[in-house]
Amino acid sequence: MRRRTLLKWISGCLATLCASVVGIPGVSFVLQALRKSGSDGDRVRRVARLKDLPVGKPVAVPILSAREDAWTVHPDEVLGRVWLVRRKPDAKVGAESIPQIVAFSATCPHLGCAIQHDAKENRFQCPCHRALFGLDGERVAAKTGVQKNPSPRAMDLLDCRLVTDETTQEVWVEVTFQKFEQGLTKKVLKA
Amino acid sequence: MQSFLNWLDARTDYRQLLAPIRMRVLPAGPRWAYSTASCLLWLFIVQLVTGLLLMLSYSPSTTTAWASVHFIEQTAAGHFLRGVHHFTSHALIILCGVHVVRVLLARAFQAPRELLWITGLLMFPLMLVWAISGNPLSGGLSGVSQIEVEGHIIGSTPWVGPLIQRILIGGEEAGHLTLTHLYFLHVGLLPLLVIGLLLFHIGQVIRHGLSVAELGGPQDDVSRWSAPNLTHLIAAHTSPLPPPRLKYYPYQTVRNMTVVTVVLGIISAIAGMHGAPLDAPADPTLPHTPRPEWYFRSLFELRRYFVGDWEFVATIIIPGAVLGFFVLFPMLNRKCSPRVSLIHRALVLLVGVGAWIGLTGMSYLRDWNDAEYLASSAETEALSARARDLADRSLLPPEGAITLLRDDPKTQGPLLFARHCASCHSHADASGQGMVASEPSAPNLHGFGTAAWISGKLDPQRIVSEHYFGKTKFTEGDMVSKIKELFDGIEEAEAAKMRDDLKLVAQALSAEAALPRAAAADHDAQAPIVTGRELLSGRLACTDCHKFRDQGELGSAPDLTAYGSREWLLGMIGNPQHERFYSGDRNDRMPAFAEDTEHPERNLLSPRELNLLVDWLRGDWYEPPTTSIPAQRRNATLAGN
Ligand code: FES
Repeated sequence: MRRRTLLKWISGCLATLCASVVGIPGVSFVLQALRKSGSDGDRVRRVARLKDLPVGKPVAVPILSAREDAWTVHPDEVLGRVWLVRRKPDAKVGAESIPQIVAFSATCPHLGCAIQHDAKENRFQCPCHRALFGLDGERVAAKTGVQKNPSPRAMDLLDCRLVTDETTQEVWVEVTFQKFEQGLTKKVLKA
Repeated sequence: MQSFLNWLDARTDYRQLLAPIRMRVLPAGPRWAYSTASCLLWLFIVQLVTGLLLMLSYSPSTTTAWASVHFIEQTAAGHFLRGVHHFTSHALIILCGVHVVRVLLARAFQAPRELLWITGLLMFPLMLVWAISGNPLSGGLSGVSQIEVEGHIIGSTPWVGPLIQRILIGGEEAGHLTLTHLYFLHVGLLPLLVIGLLLFHIGQVIRHGLSVAELGGPQDDVSRWSAPNLTHLIAAHTSPLPPPRLKYYPYQTVRNMTVVTVVLGIISAIAGMHGAPLDAPADPTLPHTPRPEWYFRSLFELRRYFVGDWEFVATIIIPGAVLGFFVLFPMLNRKCSPRVSLIHRALVLLVGVGAWIGLTGMSYLRDWNDAEYLASSAETEALSARARDLADRSLLPPEGAITLLRDDPKTQGPLLFARHCASCHSHADASGQGMVASEPSAPNLHGFGTAAWISGKLDPQRIVSEHYFGKTKFTEGDMVSKIKELFDGIEEAEAAKMRDDLKLVAQALSAEAALPRAAAADHDAQAPIVTGRELLSGRLACTDCHKFRDQGELGSAPDLTAYGSREWLLGMIGNPQHERFYSGDRNDRMPAFAEDTEHPERNLLSPRELNLLVDWLRGDWYEPPTTSIPAQRRNATLAGN
């Protein structure tokens, strides 16, 4: 009888072993979906030459990025848009004037529509629910409407800086593109 | 636990249902040979499980199939599971064969087991079709060309053939629908059919138990699991009688499990070490000689003897007749005495197995003696390795894996050169490796732009050899006489000095080409390159005829500025009669391959082809680092888990 129990035990062990040969890699394969895919770390982009930016008139530039999807890479997809505003040179260092550039995400903080520039009033305006922003990105109240500004916060400011290209010696505007949660009064980075 | 099982049993009667398995006894004791059936069942389940898992990441379309399979291969788990799925399919077919032979030897097809025998036999061809329907799903070269050949074979069947072919291929030629149709067969229809037959088969096994012959004696009632004596048996088991004959569980089970473990162990070892093959993405423009899987080699050989309209004899009639014969074998064998039956069965086995081995062996022998086939299959393997290297480098573009080799200079260069250039130019190294024109009548372009190649052109003997200007009209030209002149009537010491100077010139000109392979060497040889440049426009007076940078004039000889660079070669091949190269009647016979820049479609070479050809001539293509990236990635995944 003890031999019988031993044989049962061996059978059970072997069956478990065989099942796990496929089972363990199988579970690991399924869990692969949990791994973070793609590289979205590098979103620092050169978006425009400084000399192409007029003072006081916003310019919209697209942020292009390769989008990775499992085995495919889609080159040059539009990740988002950025408004660049070149302000009047108010800071002076010595004789040289330092050009002041600010970059705003063109995504409306309200519900995410694309913010447009209203050339007549020279301010920003969201076509969806008529949020209005000044060139400094702050919310402004509509002159006539009774409506409150629907945007919970000012336009989202993005990090930007001027860099000089080593080979051409041209000055470029470089932007670090980020996305933020909509509908919040605070600026919260999208996970 | 026990009370839960009782509770369950009261509601489901599961003990009664499992009784035929749990209580099954082995009147003649356990045997290793019995384990083929259990092993088949296990492998079958392994196939279902691994197949389902692979479906998680597989995507059947011509743009995604190869890419998704390569994606699966990127992780250790995916690599292993796909390997197991692949090699288990082979193991299943081998085991099916062994199982049939065992049943035949045991005469286990006798009444009342005819249906067991027939369902088993029907499953066999279904398994084969199931296995081959999986091959093209990877979108690989060999799998897709296999299905095209199989489609033609089916299409050559009288009457219904063409219809079935169209349904299988999903149209006139292989495309998206071929893959979705095969996917439907492979993961839908065939599994349902085989599982249906299998359930019936197993039901019959339970119903009839082991065969008389397997019991090694006359009909024994205890071995038969007909419903009436089931209760009797359970009673017999529970009563404290002298030790009953050994029960199936665990005495046979432990043997079964040992065999299953060994077989699965071998499969996983092979799968872990080699993985399933993944050849180059299917592309009708790539050279490839299709061959069937080993289990169809015998039919492949048979097809050689029935050509043309008679092909269906080899592909339909003979396999059908063999299957029919085996199906009817129990009837033919019924009346025989055990001795006569044994002789019959032995004969069938000998002739059957002999014919199969003979045909299969002949087919392989033929291939092994066929240098052309061997070269072609080596080429396919090289293309496949290249495609995997390129795919390991980065993710694939949306157009899919077919672009990997289509946009690869290393792959396309030789094909383009053979088609457009090799009627005059060779492209072969000193030992003759490469492409040798049958009647070379223009320079050998192997190593074009390198310092070694240019040195040869500046050598008074070699410039008139067939590797350079020997077979062209330039052999009588100014360049040849100028080079000869340099060495005219000078002492050996001076000649040696001259050779050194020309070496420097060659180095300087090679630096103009800026070959990617020579980047490091060029960087380290700044001083000789500068001296070479000075010689070129100074003492050696090359610029009397040639233009070089801001010295000399265009019009009498090719421009040496950026000589051999990408842009220079694009221009030279595009239009050699341009004033930068051999204007007017100074051009020998070189055609203009891309003269019309406004209408590229009118040119001999498209812009894409021209770029590929130039990149290839300049050795400008991606080479993978020596340690393979997937191995690294796989290790990383292992560590990550
Ligand atoms: S989304 Fe812009 S105002 Fe609502």
